[in-house]
Amino acid sequence: MRLWQKVFLYTLILVMLAVSMTSILLLKNSFSLALEQRKQSVYSEHEFVITSFKSMMITERLRENAVVLDEKALKEFMADTFGGEQKKSGIQFCDTSGQMVYANKEMEIPQGLLDAVKDTGKNYMQVSGYQLYIASAESMEGKAYYVVTENDITDVVEIHENMLRQILAISMGCAMGIAFILLIVVKMLLHPLQKINEGTRAIAQGSYEKRIPEKGHDELSELAHNMNRMARAVEQNVRALENVAEDRKQFIDNLSHEMKTPLTSILGFSDLLQIKKDIPEESRIEYAGIIKEEASRMRTLSGKLMELITVGEAKMEWTKEDMGQLFEEIGVSLKVITDNHQIHFTCLSEHGSLWVDRELFKSLLYNLVDNAVKASGEGGSIQVEGHFEGQDFCIRVADEGVGIPEDEISKITQAFYMVDKARGRASGGAGLGLALCAEIISLHRGSLQFESRLGEGTSVLIRMKGGIRHA
Amino acid sequence: MIKILIVEDDPNIAKLVEATVAIGGYEGVVCSNGAEAFEKMEHGNFDLILLDVMLPDMSGFEIMQRRTNTQVPVIFITAKQELTDKVRGLRLGAEDYIVKPFEAMELLARIEVILRRVKRTENVYTYGDISVNVEEHTCRCAGKEIYLTPKEFEVLVFFIQHKDVAISRDRLLAAVWGFEYEGESRTIDIHIQQLRKKLSLKDKLVTIPKLGYRLESAKE
Repeated sequence: MRLWQKVFLYTLILVMLAVSMTSILLLKNSFSLALEQRKQSVYSEHEFVITSFKSMMITERLRENAVVLDEKALKEFMADTFGGEQKKSGIQFCDTSGQMVYANKEMEIPQGLLDAVKDTGKNYMQVSGYQLYIASAESMEGKAYYVVTENDITDVVEIHENMLRQILAISMGCAMGIAFILLIVVKMLLHPLQKINEGTRAIAQGSYEKRIPEKGHDELSELAHNMNRMARAVEQNVRALENVAEDRKQFIDNLSHEMKTPLTSILGFSDLLQIKKDIPEESRIEYAGIIKEEASRMRTLSGKLMELITVGEAKMEWTKEDMGQLFEEIGVSLKVITDNHQIHFTCLSEHGSLWVDRELFKSLLYNLVDNAVKASGEGGSIQVEGHFEGQDFCIRVADEGVGIPEDEISKITQAFYMVDKARGRASGGAGLGLALCAEIISLHRGSLQFESRLGEGTSVLIRMKGGIRHA
Repeated sequence: MIKILIVEDDPNIAKLVEATVAIGGYEGVVCSNGAEAFEKMEHGNFDLILLDVMLPDMSGFEIMQRRTNTQVPVIFITAKQELTDKVRGLRLGAEDYIVKPFEAMELLARIEVILRRVKRTENVYTYGDISVNVEEHTCRCAGKEIYLTPKEFEVLVFFIQHKDVAISRDRLLAAVWGFEYEGESRTIDIHIQQLRKKLSLKDKLVTIPKLGYRLESAKE
């Protein structure tokens, strides 16, 4: 059963019970009051009839000139007195054994009435059907008799029954009215609940952007508010998950493309070498050279990929390093590469300590300088410089190379993104270097920024927190 | 000679495709980006275009939409394997869609199917004193007509089309019997023996151990 139906039904039943109980109780009270009054009057009437009969009996005795009326005369006198025209109340005389002596009309005396009088010796009343019977013990002409009078109380009972009918009708009418009003009120009060229900169902079915209306200040609007908060949280999480999935899909797509390009060449040229007859020596060497080149491209790709994956999972080994010393060390090993390209190279830092993962930090600078070398070509200049700004350690890697177009700067840290594909491939790049750098910097909780002008060069700015400059 | 335009940005793959179509006896013209492709399509008279989907300046789909000469059939060559890409490519009017990495013979087979469909292949092939007319389905050796079964005929045409190329049994099965054919490679051996006998090709149609067969070019 629905909640509104339950609330409606229970309230209706309770109200109806209360109304009917109250009215029935009131009715009972008024009925017994009326009956009591009637009993009083019937009792006085009974007394009056008997007293009158007794005095009339004395007159009869005088008239008959008898000391005591015998049984037969008494019976006749009773018939004379009470017989004749039909009276509305009946009377009956019985002897001590309960045998009827005289009755002015057919009467059904309730059982036990006479016994009750016999036991107590007092007057006794009993209601049977629409009749009220009253019995008393009297002594007449030296003998004991029971006198029972019968009184019609139909009017009292009928009034009671009429009122009962009326009350029933009124109750039914009231019930209808109450039911109608109750229905509207319950529906109105529970309306927000239905909205919440619909809203949550829609959210559960995947419309995470849907919200429930929050009207009023009751518990239901509170519930709606909390539901909305929940939906918002779910929506955010789902969006985040979707983004992660989208990024991952993009990554896989790019990866598969990057793998397939060298694979196509390797498989294709080895296929040609296998099926073709009489390949000229120079073609054979060219094909083999391409196969070798592409295989080594795949090796670079898988190496970088492993690096990128392990960086994300490896446990960081934090050590407190002196930057001046570390830069000097890295500078020495990088100089070998820059010298090969006749590039002017400096690598310097202020002295001061910074908590870093030594290997990752070296890999970061190596990758940035490697990029700078690729951008510079022969005879350029690359400067790597570190300094402290308050608590922050700043690194600047500047080259005078080809630069990066402005609208591509936001994309260059994406895995596999290359500004100039042909150039990147030619220098053996996989498009993963900056993605790796960005990952390392985020592990060090630093920030990465690029400043670049086409044709003039690029500066990479890195800022890491928690450094201390040595005095 | 049939001219094929190869639009591919990776120089090695471009070279590979060029060398592959050369085996089939076609002339390949390479260009590495969309702009160049448009220029070549404008002036060159090409019979077929092999189009890479991922190009530096525009996508292959875009070239397909914007090209003016829609008569020339196009085959997409791409690393994208998703069905939606394939459907998109074919909807745009491409004749076929090849996913990298591919085998040389597969590319050649697909090129031939399409060229045959648009009727740009020759009807008569000659090999030494053997001449084959594809349209009439006849084969003559030194002027005398030789009876060949339909499958023998197709095998012979395939070998003449790929002179000096080692052809594996699987490749031959795929080309002549269809890609779904699940037969034994013994079937091929029987057909080869028949061809050798009927056309006295014993020395020319040689067996390559562990690989298949090759039809050596006829010495003049």
